[in-house]
Amino acid sequence: MSDAATAHHDDGHENLVIDNKKLFMWFFLGSDCMFFGTLISTHLIYRKLYPEAYEPTSVFALELTSFSTFILLMSSFLMALAVSAMHKGEIKSFRRNVIGVMFFGLIFLGIQVYEFAHFVHAGLTLSTTTFGSTFYLMTGTHGVHVAIGIFWLLCLYFYSYSGKMDAHQSAVDVEVAGLYWHFVDIVWIVIFTAVYLIEYI
Amino acid sequence: MSEADYHPLPVSNEFLQEENEKYHTFVNLALALAAITGIELVLVYLPFNEIFVFSSLMALSLFKFGAVIAWFMHLIYDKLILTLAFMTGMAIATGTYTALLFLFSRNNVDFDAITGF
Repeated sequence: MSDAATAHHDDGHENLVIDNKKLFMWFFLGSDCMFFGTLISTHLIYRKLYPEAYEPTSVFALELTSFSTFILLMSSFLMALAVSAMHKGEIKSFRRNVIGVMFFGLIFLGIQVYEFAHFVHAGLTLSTTTFGSTFYLMTGTHGVHVAIGIFWLLCLYFYSYSGKMDAHQSAVDVEVAGLYWHFVDIVWIVIFTAVYLIEYI
Repeated sequence: MSEADYHPLPVSNEFLQEENEKYHTFVNLALALAAITGIELVLVYLPFNEIFVFSSLMALSLFKFGAVIAWFMHLIYDKLILTLAFMTGMAIATGTYTALLFLFSRNNVDFDAITGF
């Protein structure tokens, strides 16, 4: 174990160095911001250019989307607890919280699949209008991010049973996965307001 | 793996106390985020001025965004360079949207040319 790692745990929070994995994850999240920024921008600009293309409030179920937003926010809360548990070395608590995060993530995905099926049934497909194209591309990409996050956490969960977990590195690994999960959450916060709520004003 | 196979690093009481304080912060934040989501949902159905509703939604969304980054993602507890790394991406994303918004404003778009293909 490195001196830096020892220092981290001896004096609590005084990090002497920034872990490479964590630094690169933050840079990745910065670049992912640009990616989602482009998708959201495209949707909003096409919405502004062709306001008559589609009336989304006729198919949106705002209560359901609000519920899925709530679910994703609570999954972020559990993820924060999982990271904290790992830093404290409480592996059982970590496992419990990660199961909760994955469960909430799956509920979110289930609601998204249901929502997409409902929209398609109502006539809104990827190729029907510009609204459909940009909407499905943006929310679908977000959904793929959620699915990747669930798979990542599942890997960490099973890895915690492998007997190969190094206390310091595992805490960093969980923290990095947590950063990714929280990012997925903040992207949805933006999508929920900019794509769903704004339509009702 | 059984509990005995995992050997956590020794942590100081101060560190544990800090983590416990964070736990209370996380609980309060989660409750606040849930409440704000509820307020947002109600707000769009209330017969208030459009500009007021729009501004409120933006402010609430910004608060949620900032709160998750600051506390759940530990940015306020971490080094400044991590904030800079993320904010650089955010600034470029926001700049891209602003630039596109101006470029594609209705007056600047030749709709006949687009639909002519």
